[in-house]
Amino acid sequence: MKIPGAGLAKGLTVTMRTMTKRSVTQQYPEVKPELPPRSRGVIALLEENCTVCMLCARECPDWCIYIDSHKETIPAPPGGRERQRNVLDRFDIDFSLCMYCGICIEVCPFDALFWSPEFEYSELDIRDLTHGKDRLGEWMATVPAPPAHDGHGVRPKEVDAALKALDKPARERPARKPAPGPESEDAG
Amino acid sequence: MTVVEVMFALLGVIAVGSAILVVTTQHLVHAALWLVVTLGSVAGCYLLLSAEFVAWVQVLIYIGAVVVLLLFGLMLTRAPIGQSDDLDSPLGQRIAAAVTAASAGAVLVASVVTSFRGERIDLSDDRVAGSTGDVGAAVFRSWVLPFEVLSLLLLAALIGAIVLSRRDVSAGPAGARMGVVDEFGEIAEADGVVR
Amino acid sequence: MTDVLEVALRVALVLGVFLVLPLLVGQTEHKAMAHMQSRLGPMYAGGFHGWAQLVADGVKFAQKEDIVPTAADRVVFKLAPAVALIPYLIALVAIPLGPGVVAQDLDVGVFFVLAVMAVGVLGPLMGGWASANKFSLLGALRTAAQLMAYELPFILAAASVAMAAGTLSLVGIVEAWEPWWLIWQLPAAVVFFVAGLAELQRPPFDMPVADSEIIFGAFTEYTGLRFALFLLAEYAGIVVLCALTTVLFLGGWHGPYDDVLGWLWTLLKTMVLAFVVIWLRVSYPRLREDQLQRLAWQGLVPIALLQLALTGVVVVART
Repeated sequence: MKIPGAGLAKGLTVTMRTMTKRSVTQQYPEVKPELPPRSRGVIALLEENCTVCMLCARECPDWCIYIDSHKETIPAPPGGRERQRNVLDRFDIDFSLCMYCGICIEVCPFDALFWSPEFEYSELDIRDLTHGKDRLGEWMATVPAPPAHDGHGVRPKEVDAALKALDKPARERPARKPAPGPESEDAG
Repeated sequence: MTVVEVMFALLGVIAVGSAILVVTTQHLVHAALWLVVTLGSVAGCYLLLSAEFVAWVQVLIYIGAVVVLLLFGLMLTRAPIGQSDDLDSPLGQRIAAAVTAASAGAVLVASVVTSFRGERIDLSDDRVAGSTGDVGAAVFRSWVLPFEVLSLLLLAALIGAIVLSRRDVSAGPAGARMGVVDEFGEIAEADGVVR
Repeated sequence: MTDVLEVALRVALVLGVFLVLPLLVGQTEHKAMAHMQSRLGPMYAGGFHGWAQLVADGVKFAQKEDIVPTAADRVVFKLAPAVALIPYLIALVAIPLGPGVVAQDLDVGVFFVLAVMAVGVLGPLMGGWASANKFSLLGALRTAAQLMAYELPFILAAASVAMAAGTLSLVGIVEAWEPWWLIWQLPAAVVFFVAGLAELQRPPFDMPVADSEIIFGAFTEYTGLRFALFLLAEYAGIVVLCALTTVLFLGGWHGPYDDVLGWLWTLLKTMVLAFVVIWLRVSYPRLREDQLQRLAWQGLVPIALLQLALTGVVVVART
């Protein structure tokens, strides 16, 4: 049988129970939030790795990456010939347009872009939200170290190759052990 | 003249003055609000006559209920803010009303003066003359018959109001509308008049 | 001379209670409601858990421009907040805090408080009409309809306990009170409290100020200090209602060591009831207009009448 007023009592208990629990409010400016380790706060640029391949700019869904570059000729080393390479002039990300999809980071073949968990870069002027390559480079210091490799996973091919090279007698130059890059969790 | 007498006279003047304003003002809602002042000062007179119970019942019933009902009615009929020029009745009616009011007042004053001319209420007595107990005893001992007649009258008025506001009474057997109309009848009825 | 001093002291006490308790209730509402909704509520003003939030609010209200709409009835518009607020101040005069601690013991205390509270409700009606705003007018209409419905059970319930005690004096009622009245007068207590909530237009009976439908009812056009006065009237109303319920139904100052701590018991019971008012506000959704009327006429009035009959029977049987 349904007791009259049971619903009313239920409503009261719900509010009372909520009151006795800790509230979920974040005291943000005083207490910094504990973000998940791979939070998407801002995009950092490692300029040395960038080859101006333009993949990120082309893949960006809302076209918020602006890249300018010029070619530079490297003088020929003795016995060699001249080579050309791309020099980055401008690498801007407009964070007022960016939707933090991370596609640029995914497509970068040379590990020049990284996620940083920093998020406190709001500006009073929207134009200041376009970060140049220097500012993007400063974010590199805040990029967390890549997670350790999963011990139970398949060993990366690079490590296998290196070990195989070590096993062989050192006839040629010694094999270089490659450091696992930030994307190495994909291998496992 | 004592302080009490001065205050009584003052309250009387306020009561009469605001009562005149009730009938002469051209703002509908102002009339209702002046009525509050009138009833309030009459309650004050009761208080000075040491009839506490009657005074507060006056405030409770007349200001708390009757005036609220009046204001409710006025708002339902969209009382305009500002003057309503069509409130003034023709001169003949006004004279007739004034004469009626004056004569009614004269009759009341005469009857009160002739019957209670020499009587004095002793306010120095500790026991308040118009206390709740006294009023209760008077109503339920000496005046119980008028009291019962009055309650019968009110009951009849109540039943009449219900009959008037229920639309399903004349429409044959009580239909499905019954539950919708009954306690809401008054408001629904008044709505119907306005629109 | 001592008489004058005593009167001044009593008036000062009432004024102090009148100024402090509503703010206390308001702050409790801020915090309790926040925590019931898993929030923290005000945290900045005053430093420690936002204790000075209402003071800050008062300062803000005082700074705001006092706007009177062009089409409004100026005098009535300006008078309305005072009419809403002052009666609650006067009502506090008759409410006893402890044995002998009452500003003025009146022979007809119950009727005095009820009558004065009934005057207070004219404030929203005046303000709603004088604002020249259709939402205000709707709010005032709803206020009036609600008042007419709930005034009757409110007074009937109070009359029941007055009958049980055989006196209309609030002090006399507390003196006559016995613990078993909690059961005997329970229906009256519930009716009184619920009807009082409806008179104060507190949620879930806040149809007259339903902000999602008619903005803020009768108070829509008010700004600054006048609006603050209306808000203060609401919280003063909570204090008066809770104190009155305490005195009438919960035995006022009765409790352990009540000859010394009587005032504390009254205050404690009042604050617990005030918390219940807040609790109800958070827990229940707003009642629809027809539900409001049905609850009053089909629920509270019959219960109050039955309680009155029961009280009469028991009183006659005991004498």
